[in-house]
Amino acid sequence: MVPSEEARKLVLSFADDELCVGQNHSWWIAIGPFLEEDLAFTSIAQDELGHARALYSLLTDDIDHLAYGRNHSEYRSAHIAEFLCHDWSSALVRHVLHDMAEQIRWSALTNSSWTALGETAQRALAEENFHIQHGLSLLRRLLSSDEGQKRLEPIVLSLAPYGREYFADCDEGLIDDGLLTISMADQERMWVDQVLETFDDFNISVDMGEETQSSGRSGIRSDDFATLHDEMTAVIQIDPNAQW
Amino acid sequence: MKTYEVFLKKEGKDPFIHAGSVDAPDDEMALTYAREAYGRRSEGDQMWVVLRCNVLIADEVELEMADRTHKHNDGKLVAELRRTTLSDQS
Repeated sequence: MVPSEEARKLVLSFADDELCVGQNHSWWIAIGPFLEEDLAFTSIAQDELGHARALYSLLTDDIDHLAYGRNHSEYRSAHIAEFLCHDWSSALVRHVLHDMAEQIRWSALTNSSWTALGETAQRALAEENFHIQHGLSLLRRLLSSDEGQKRLEPIVLSLAPYGREYFADCDEGLIDDGLLTISMADQERMWVDQVLETFDDFNISVDMGEETQSSGRSGIRSDDFATLHDEMTAVIQIDPNAQW
Repeated sequence: MKTYEVFLKKEGKDPFIHAGSVDAPDDEMALTYAREAYGRRSEGDQMWVVLRCNVLIADEVELEMADRTHKHNDGKLVAELRRTTLSDQS
């Protein structure tokens, strides 16, 4: 099948989210809170970059150009994926919100009529169980202490509403085409329910707001994006023909 | 944090082999970290994770004392004796 414009946009959004989160997670290499967490977290970073690569490869043969060579306004990443999160509380909360969303997004694609996309989704989904388990067990553990609750609650309250943007793609025609098996609105509801339930266990009542606050899907970048993009393109800027 | 010892076993007849240790706040996280630290490249298809405090530790002096020459018998003397006896009989 020839994927529609909407289908390609959906895949590009997802790939850009994964690229940004993978790059952001990798910032913690060697400076994670303790050795074991450092290894686990940055291994997840690698997985997310692998997902980005797999998704870009569905759209182009020149992955590096698509990943690194576009104008900022051509990226479609959700702002929550772009945030640098250079404090551990934010990095951990974003990890959990992101992977909860990712699990739902991949599930909606595993039976896609775009066969290659469906296969990518099945492979990625297998990794997601581990990501979620990792994020949730550490988060729950930390939220069970007064100190953890005090530090994490404000971060959860401020970051969670941004997660809605993960589902801000237009899915017109995609359900009819069999490209997507769960509408974006339903995916968003599933995610919101899961997030509310998770934090409700710790008496944190998250306010998701009336509508999606951010506008990454429409080409407007968050303040953090430029820094992130400079970091991820540092090598290619020095040597455009670098091989890796 | 608690310390856990991690053991891995590959498919086949090889026994479980000590892979290393991890520090983790609880059992669930210990399994997660052990998998990431020692099994993320499919180094084994079975894993044991054991709280280090549950490992029984043998007395080192007793172990050292157990090292006596007659325990190292490689059977050469016995084999030689058997050969001599058998050839005498024939």
